[in-house]
Amino acid sequence: MILKEFRELRRDRRTMAMLIVLPILLLVVFGYAANFNVETIGTAALGPQAQQVADSAPEVFDVHVVDTEGDDATARAMLQDNEVDVALVTGSQPVQAYVDGSALFSAQKATAVLGQMGDRVSVDVLYNPDLTTAWVMVPSITGLILMFIGTVVTSIGLVRERENGTLEQLAVMPLRPSSVIVGKITPYFVLAALDMTIVTVLGVLLFDVPFNGNVALFALGAALFLFVVLGIGVFISTVSQTAGQSIQLAFFFLLPQILLSGMIFPLDAIPWGVRWISYLLPLTYYTNIAQGVMLRDAGLDSLWLSFLVLTGMALVVFVGAVLRFRRDLAPGRRHQHGRHERGHTDEVPEVEAA
Amino acid sequence: MSAVVVARGLTRRFGDFTAVDDVTFDVRPGEVVGLLGANGAGKTTTLRMLLGLLAPTSGTASLLGATPDRQTRRRLGYVPQGLGLYTELTVRQNVAFSAQAYAVPALPLEGALADASERLVRDLPLGLQRQLAFVAALQHAPEVLVLDEPTSGVEPLASARLWDRIRAEAERGAGVLVTTHSMEEARQCDRLLLMADARLVGTGSETDLVAGTSAVAVVTDAWTEAFEALTRAGELVTLDGRSVRVVDRDPAVVERVLQDAGVTARVTRVPATLEERMAALSA
Amino acid sequence: MTFGLESVTVRYGGTTALADVSLDIPPGQVTAVVGGDGAGKSTLLRTLVGEVVVDDGSLRIPEPNEVGYLSAGGGSWKDLTVDQNVAFVGGSFGLTRAEVDHRGGLLLERAGLTEARGRLAGRLSGGMRTKLGYVLAMLHQPRLLVLDEPSTGVDPVSRVELWRLISETAAAGAAVVLSTTYLDEAERTASVLLLSQGRALLSGRPDELIARMPGSVTRVASPRRPEYAWRRGASFHEWWPDGLPAEGDQVQADLSDVSIVAELGQLTDAGSGS
Repeated sequence: MILKEFRELRRDRRTMAMLIVLPILLLVVFGYAANFNVETIGTAALGPQAQQVADSAPEVFDVHVVDTEGDDATARAMLQDNEVDVALVTGSQPVQAYVDGSALFSAQKATAVLGQMGDRVSVDVLYNPDLTTAWVMVPSITGLILMFIGTVVTSIGLVRERENGTLEQLAVMPLRPSSVIVGKITPYFVLAALDMTIVTVLGVLLFDVPFNGNVALFALGAALFLFVVLGIGVFISTVSQTAGQSIQLAFFFLLPQILLSGMIFPLDAIPWGVRWISYLLPLTYYTNIAQGVMLRDAGLDSLWLSFLVLTGMALVVFVGAVLRFRRDLAPGRRHQHGRHERGHTDEVPEVEAA
Repeated sequence: MSAVVVARGLTRRFGDFTAVDDVTFDVRPGEVVGLLGANGAGKTTTLRMLLGLLAPTSGTASLLGATPDRQTRRRLGYVPQGLGLYTELTVRQNVAFSAQAYAVPALPLEGALADASERLVRDLPLGLQRQLAFVAALQHAPEVLVLDEPTSGVEPLASARLWDRIRAEAERGAGVLVTTHSMEEARQCDRLLLMADARLVGTGSETDLVAGTSAVAVVTDAWTEAFEALTRAGELVTLDGRSVRVVDRDPAVVERVLQDAGVTARVTRVPATLEERMAALSA
Repeated sequence: MTFGLESVTVRYGGTTALADVSLDIPPGQVTAVVGGDGAGKSTLLRTLVGEVVVDDGSLRIPEPNEVGYLSAGGGSWKDLTVDQNVAFVGGSFGLTRAEVDHRGGLLLERAGLTEARGRLAGRLSGGMRTKLGYVLAMLHQPRLLVLDEPSTGVDPVSRVELWRLISETAAAGAAVVLSTTYLDEAERTASVLLLSQGRALLSGRPDELIARMPGSVTRVASPRRPEYAWRRGASFHEWWPDGLPAEGDQVQADLSDVSIVAELGQLTDAGSGS
């Protein structure tokens, strides 16, 4: 019995991959990446005594901007644009320190260190004055929900068609492949948008999370991200035969993003050896946008890179996945002579005849 | 009247494996044609090419005089083996969806289906599900009907009633192509197409197809001994009630084997069944 | 010893799956149970292997380890190779390695599966998978072989080969009972039981059932009484319960006709309230 189970397991590639890859992934992440302890905090020194402050600031503050012309307004702008997490403004006594409360762990570290400097520094935490975790988490959770619905729920819904045998029927009916695709994806799009709105509203009401920024910008970011994850969901459905398989694959896409997108462990704390992975994950960019807009009222001028990356990802992933799905519905078009190609059915291929 | 389904030199290769090799046949309006063959013979691949789901490597497949595409499929009714029904929707919803897809008004339900109109498909017995699949596929009065094992698993009376519907469509002028593993269903067709090893090896009625293959019926009281003796001699032997049949052999040969084994029996040449013919082809 | 069921009734919750059904399954021949989906065929077979408990009536069956069973839908593990399947099942029946190798090898050869020994069961065609299921059911040399719809969905050629294997098993002395939806196959067995909604409609030798059919059947181009007629190819068969009519050619009924007549008879009995 034991032997049989092992043998069967060996054939189940996805479960095997999960059994091997998952522990390695967790080990790497928790070994290298998982770190709540921020080593360096990007800082700006402004005002007449900027240079002195830069030289004498505690080591944890990585002062890479020194601007003797800068003042309070400059400091706030820099924080809003996420150029630095801490801005030290000289020119009056005591030194005015502005801390970006939306970068939770950096802010906690910064306030702790600055607090030790007593009356010499006056600390003003912007955007999240009480350093409430919920304020930072809620925007991230909206991303999580979008991702969950976009990949898991969508792929199950699409695979069900294949499991039922109705995909073949759809292929034969006089329906344009594009209408089938739009018809199948739209409900999930709507569902995800609705869910996200509910969570955001609830977050604002229950936890007093502020919504300081431009709703339209937030919606745009969410929509772009949604296209990316829907694309992933559609792609998963084209390479899965059963709902179980699609869930496994969706899990593969979800887990790294939860761990490495900055949702739980701050990006700044993740060493560069692993952080490059973060920059490949769509959730990283969405989290940046969501937190920026909700907490800092950040504008397109500071978030343009994230938007650009998401747009690019959406185009590649969504369009690619849809083309693949289309091939399941109308495979007759693009056949090339002699190329080995199997039809996408779930019957045993007739190659293995008696 | 021109044929509604035409295959000419239809061929399909997957790498160096030939799934369908130079298959040519017609289905004319008003006739019911049955496609038979062992697994791997090429039936499903042929069907997929006729439906426009797969492109041929060479040769042509045409549906209603044109390449099978979205326009021609509007006039096609297809019931796949899995029935193609949405099990989580009701009878009425399935009918409505199909009607919309084909841009026709949904037909009112009758009889047992009408009684079950609000029930989920997955709660229906198989016979009723098959009826529903038919209704959904026939609403738009298709000129071509393609059915994959239409009465598989259904009891004789209900199966006959389904065939009533199929015949009614043929009489209305549709050309019907049926694939089947069942000899009874084969008997319901006007004409049969027999495929083996990717090629079309016979067309015609059951009698036409079986011509040339015979079997030997062995009648004896000592049928177990007869069976053993013939099996030892390497023959393809089967039971028939309590007598023994040997496929595709000369009666004289069979008689000798039995005599050598000390079995007294009466040996006669009889026509082979269609299955035996197919087995003889594959041997 | 003749195995079988004696007035067996099985109930599931509110439905009666089998109502007062009796069947003899003698050794040395093949017995068929026919009927449509939901008639009770599977339930009947499962009582014989102990998967279903009877509420009324009795069973005549051998010891559990003398029963071989092929369940509907395969009975083999798709992620194991043919050899691995044989090894697993043999082991679970307590056969020694040597016995499994010997008997397994013999059975696989008779089933024509020797060349496919290293292949995954899931990659076999429907017919080959069924033959593998048969091999697995026969490994421990059962006295009673129970096969649930072994030929459904199997292509005609594989069915002929399967039928040969089943014939051999019966000829060697085992009692074989199978369920099938193919009536031409049932005609080749020694005894047939027709079930409809849990009740036995017909029981006996195929040739006797045909001879005993009430009334006669004719072939007509279009029937006068559609409720008594059914399609056969381009024409109809019509049933005359009270004897030969004036028009129509009488045909020799086959088991399919006889079954339909039995079902129609049930309907008319119910309708006339007799």
